[in-house]
Amino acid sequence: MSAIIELESIRKTYRSAAVEFEALRGVDCTIQAGEYVAVVGPSGSGKSTLMHLLGCLDNPSEGRYHLAGEDVSTMSEAGLAEVRNRRIGFVFQQFHLLASLPAWRNVELPLVYAGVPRSERRERALAALDRVGLADRVDNRPGELSGGQQQRVAIARALVTEPSLLLADEPTGNLDSRSTADVLGLLDELHAAGRTIVLITHEHDVAARAGRRLVIHDGEIVADHLAGAIA
Amino acid sequence: MSWLDTVRAAAEAVRAHRLRSVLTMLGIVIGISSVILTVGLGQGAQDEVEDQISALGSNLLSVSPGSSTDASGMRGGFGSASTLTLADAAAIADTDVVPDAAAVAPTSTTSTSVVAGETNWTTSLIGTTASWLDVRARTLDSGRFFTAAEVADGADVVVLGPDTAGELVARGSPVGETVRIDGNALTVIGVLAPSGASASGTSEDDVALTPIGTAMRVTGQTPSSVSTIYVEATSGTTLTAAYQEVEALLLNLHGLASADADFTNATQDSLVATANATNETLTILLAGIAAISLLVGGIGVMNIMLVSVTERVREIGLRKALGATPTAIRRQFLVEASLLGLVGGLVGVVIALVGAAALPALIGQPVSVSALATAAALGTALALGIGFGVYPASRAARLTPIDALRSE
Repeated sequence: MSAIIELESIRKTYRSAAVEFEALRGVDCTIQAGEYVAVVGPSGSGKSTLMHLLGCLDNPSEGRYHLAGEDVSTMSEAGLAEVRNRRIGFVFQQFHLLASLPAWRNVELPLVYAGVPRSERRERALAALDRVGLADRVDNRPGELSGGQQQRVAIARALVTEPSLLLADEPTGNLDSRSTADVLGLLDELHAAGRTIVLITHEHDVAARAGRRLVIHDGEIVADHLAGAIA
Repeated sequence: MSWLDTVRAAAEAVRAHRLRSVLTMLGIVIGISSVILTVGLGQGAQDEVEDQISALGSNLLSVSPGSSTDASGMRGGFGSASTLTLADAAAIADTDVVPDAAAVAPTSTTSTSVVAGETNWTTSLIGTTASWLDVRARTLDSGRFFTAAEVADGADVVVLGPDTAGELVARGSPVGETVRIDGNALTVIGVLAPSGASASGTSEDDVALTPIGTAMRVTGQTPSSVSTIYVEATSGTTLTAAYQEVEALLLNLHGLASADADFTNATQDSLVATANATNETLTILLAGIAAISLLVGGIGVMNIMLVSVTERVREIGLRKALGATPTAIRRQFLVEASLLGLVGGLVGVVIALVGAAALPALIGQPVSVSALATAAALGTALALGIGFGVYPASRAARLTPIDALRSE
């Protein structure tokens, strides 16, 4: 197995005029290709900060981050944008779909920024929507879809670029229990098909679906369990 | 992201907020159409003046007496001196001295009453020579013009302008009738064809023309002094040469340095320039006001784009998370602002063209809209959109994806 994520002594400090806040205080962690990892911890523990760094939405203050072998810890904003586009598929708690666009246009968005030609974009967006079971909803706008369906559109959008990493931030936080099961089932399937998934959650039953659990507290990883080790 | 995709995304954003986009464009529409129309009105007025001046005759020079200074040092106005004489006119007519002059017509103009039977009409009595008709590029409606022989003899003949003829003789042709000026009986030998109003506003069609000696005799003027000498150059290209020859000749004859010239020598171009000076000032003033409204329209675009950036923070954050570079975001908002400017400009041009077609009928003023002015206005609208879009677009580009995604 090859390492998708390698974090070495990652620190992140937020500075404002008077206050200095250390959100991450030396995180070391390696995640292999094909792993399904849940990052759990209470709010304020630093898990959102970790997710931002893993998602290349921000640079660490200190430390090294290699994503699929590439050092991204000191990249420029434009460089990070390109890495996000190529390597990472995001799934957010609030779905973050553009309300004015039909489902397939939402799914094709990452391909637009990747510079993929228009005809190929539609083809790939339709295939991704088919993959998440929404082949019959491609022309519906987000407002015409249920919460679970909207999150599945978002997952299709995360998959469409064939990224190295699927990063899900509280993907079931806004869903009812049935849609939650629906979305988690889909993530299980994707994991089974070989996807690397990092899921950030504060719900333990959601985290239980993952093969590995990283518990984060006060900016440090305090526990790293494999699914078999707890029960 | 390709340009085509950027333009498509921008067009979708403009369409998504139809009412707001239309209201934003309104400022640009009003600005552009008023700039085009005011400039068009100014241009129309200029064209009209130029037409009238060129109607005076082709390749025309007009020499008028300069201002006079009397014994007490009081200076009279332009044309008050009697410094031009028939001798000057005769000298200009000498083709050895002024080779580029084709024809010369001295004129002596006075206001006088013309009586025909019971009718009395005040008009301009112009005493001149036989070449006047050619020099002023006029034609006759009926009868004939006086001959060189009649001019030499001071014959009692008169040619009437069409308006004058209409006033004096109610019906039928006046040719062959007798009219009286200060008790002198003159035979009407011809009637001019209409020419339209002159630039100065006096009608070129309300005149009575007699041989110059006749005019001086009947009005009792200073013998041999003339009010204007018209000189026709041999062609448009020799006009400047003719101007210089006449200038040099008259300075020499009058024994003066050019700074002391007691006459004014003007080409049609200089007449046009003088007449246009006033027009231009007014046009610049109006166009300035219109340009300010265009500026206000541009600020409106900036205002709405700033609102739009604030409103779409989440969209911007999402696009960035999905791989949009700051450049791609900046470009999208810039194209959006340019689109507002360009579409507003296009609508403004259409309204200006409709206005230019309708205004002449409504206010009786010609409007001349040039393709260049229209293209410039469109370019301005586009530049306004881009110019006022830069700041909002860079605000959007600078948003960090985390802050943008976090905002609710």
